[in-house]
Amino acid sequence: MTAIAPPRASAPATPPGAPRRTLARPSGRVLTAAALLLGLGVAAIWSIVDLEVGLNQLERGLANAGRFLQRTVPFEWPSLGDVLWLSAMTLAIVVLGTLLATVISIPVAYLSAANTSPGGLVTRLLGRLIGIVSRATPDAFLALAFAMIIAQGALPGILALGLHSVGMISKLTADAIEQIDEGPRLALRAAGATKAQEFWGGIWPQILPSVIATVLHRADINLRATVVLGFVGVAGLGLELSLGLKSLNYREGIPYAIIMFALCIVFEIIATSVRSTLLGVRPSGRSLGGLLARRTVPAAPVAVDPLKQPWTPERRRLAGFSRSSIVVIIGALAVISTSLPNFSLFWQNIGIALNRMLPPQIDEAKWGSVAEDFLITIQVGLAATLVGVILSAVFGVFAARNVAPNPTVRGIFRLLLVVNRGIPELLLAFFLIILTGLGATAGVVALAIGGIGLLGKLVADSLEEVDPGPERALRATGATRAQIFFAATLPQAAPAIVGHVLYLLDTNVRASSLLGVIGGAGIGFTILQASRINHQEMLALLIIMVFVVLAIEALSSLIRSLVK
Amino acid sequence: MSASPVIRLDDVSKRFGATQALEEVSLEIEAGSVVVLLGLSGSGKSTLLRHLDGLEVPTSGSVEVLGQSVPELRGRALRALRGRVGFIFQQFELVGSITVLENVLTGALARLRGPRLGLPSYPKALREQAFAHLEEVGLAAQAFQRADTLSGGQQQRVAIARALMQDPEILLADEPVASLDPESSDQVMNLIREIGLRRGLTVVCSLHQVDLALAWADRIVGLRHGRVVLDTPAEGLSKEQVMEIYGRVATSTAEIAALQDELLETVAAIAAEENAAR
Repeated sequence: MTAIAPPRASAPATPPGAPRRTLARPSGRVLTAAALLLGLGVAAIWSIVDLEVGLNQLERGLANAGRFLQRTVPFEWPSLGDVLWLSAMTLAIVVLGTLLATVISIPVAYLSAANTSPGGLVTRLLGRLIGIVSRATPDAFLALAFAMIIAQGALPGILALGLHSVGMISKLTADAIEQIDEGPRLALRAAGATKAQEFWGGIWPQILPSVIATVLHRADINLRATVVLGFVGVAGLGLELSLGLKSLNYREGIPYAIIMFALCIVFEIIATSVRSTLLGVRPSGRSLGGLLARRTVPAAPVAVDPLKQPWTPERRRLAGFSRSSIVVIIGALAVISTSLPNFSLFWQNIGIALNRMLPPQIDEAKWGSVAEDFLITIQVGLAATLVGVILSAVFGVFAARNVAPNPTVRGIFRLLLVVNRGIPELLLAFFLIILTGLGATAGVVALAIGGIGLLGKLVADSLEEVDPGPERALRATGATRAQIFFAATLPQAAPAIVGHVLYLLDTNVRASSLLGVIGGAGIGFTILQASRINHQEMLALLIIMVFVVLAIEALSSLIRSLVK
Repeated sequence: MSASPVIRLDDVSKRFGATQALEEVSLEIEAGSVVVLLGLSGSGKSTLLRHLDGLEVPTSGSVEVLGQSVPELRGRALRALRGRVGFIFQQFELVGSITVLENVLTGALARLRGPRLGLPSYPKALREQAFAHLEEVGLAAQAFQRADTLSGGQQQRVAIARALMQDPEILLADEPVASLDPESSDQVMNLIREIGLRRGLTVVCSLHQVDLALAWADRIVGLRHGRVVLDTPAEGLSKEQVMEIYGRVATSTAEIAALQDELLETVAAIAAEENAAR
């Protein structure tokens, strides 16, 4: 029989009778994070007030809707051949742009990940810097710059998507590399493998599911981006759409928007089904990468012929995926090869273009208006994020299995989130701009609604991912559903949710800089103007834009590290 | 001890799909007694405990706790009953990202109206009470630490303080020390026993360690395959007798049958029910 230890001695924390502190002394970290978040919230409210975002503008828009419809219906649909060709062109740009980004991202991720970076902190920072700068440079402006060098067409779009997507893909891939199990890698090293063998044999198989999921997700984002790319002259559906809309020929323009929307939904469905059949993922995990791909390593069945790998369903799926990817890539190359520009003057053109852009400078007389444009861009981003957060909170809560009142409600809200994700927010912004005129409201509302699809889903997933134990424990104490939510679910999910909100802020500020390109307010319009008249000014504006986005990213990563 | 049973199970069966988790369990537990449910994992101990707090509803049979029929309770009445019954989990189930003190305070939610978030959202009187409970379990010094910075044994003591915050009449504990090292185990088991005695609580605790159960309980209820196979005062029971209930790993049907026969012989005098041959 085990001897049971005598009762533990408990030393009272305070002498009896002395007043006791029953509230935690707030730590500096918590206070700083709270102050920063509060500051952002106040700034967002101020933005809403200052931009005069209001429902009356939307009401006016509603009044305009009748006139708009009159000029839109009946549609003048393009021929089926045109539709197919333009869709193929758009998809080819997306596929090749994303592919280019993936190829660049792997070495960048290798540089950025703490456990693989060859030169320690220096190369690591270099890798992260490449990623951050790439993420901070909006693709539409990259496309503008490339169009000046190599003429308009499909190629500037591919290059723009390729360079801009490196930011996200390399970051999520680096995160995945940092989360690997080091064991297999060490085993390879112990067996005398080179660094490259170590990567492809020990690391790559572990990160592959995450990379596939990230790339699919990015391709989805890039497909939406082609709408804006069309406005800066990149070929495909976006270009036809923008031509129709800019010439106020809505009967011809709007059908392209409908086709684009359908394409987005179809792509979303294909991407989701590829993800789930190929990876067997239930989206879960704290980081975005983990959320995109939860690794499931199926047990390999015993081979009948020891020299031949059996055709298990796993292997068949993987082979099917690789083969169809190759077919898709070849197809995309074939489509693009029909519209390649003439490269004979390439170097000369680069010289001319650089000559016009350098040195970057802005007329002193314009400084005031430029500052105002940037302010509006940031304000729209902040305001859209605040409205988006409020809407997403509702959607996220009702779409979370452990919070929604019943499975039907959850199903409905999950469906709404999927449909919402199908709408490219800048297309939505465009319609709202047509309807409500050149106010900030259109942009704010469009980005806020677009944000629900992203943030609502992330919030719902974060809520579902919490440890269910404490919820159960509180249910056992007799707490109500609301009490359980606030005492057990929310505190566990809060750091992830704050991270997602800041991610939305980053995204929204970038998207808000593009509103100008499609006819909204902000810096985008000024950059577009400058691209026609004054290339030195354009380059200067682009550089400032990158720094603005970098500053916001720095702020959010500071807050993220504080709330972790 | 008074003779009024605070827990009464009558012919309770519970089925999860194809699995029979509980089979015709009848049990009465008197106020103030300290009972151990003993059995292997999968024997139905946890399921039985969860029925007592209305976390499971029996497929058939009746469960009466504190004079109320638990399966019939809904909404506010069910929460009110749960408020009177403390539950301690094997995995502690604290919210890791909030302070120890706030975790203790969540035990008072059933008494409060509306959701709470953050220490200041709880009345000062409750905060002081929570502090007192933390002192009782010897963790007042850790009150403002994040719960996930504590060791397993400390976390379980916080969970006990959280249960005390409910001011319960019954304390249920589901394998409270299965995730702990031997030293913390003794400490936690002692604490539960001591608190139970001091407050006159009815304590029902599931365990799989025989010697711990013998040293600790007033009464031992043995479960096997969802049936009660032993129900006896702990005093006078030898470890060997109890070991027969689950101390061996039976790998075939024949072995299970043999073991069950043997078991019947050994504890014939005290076994409450006959274990049906399968």
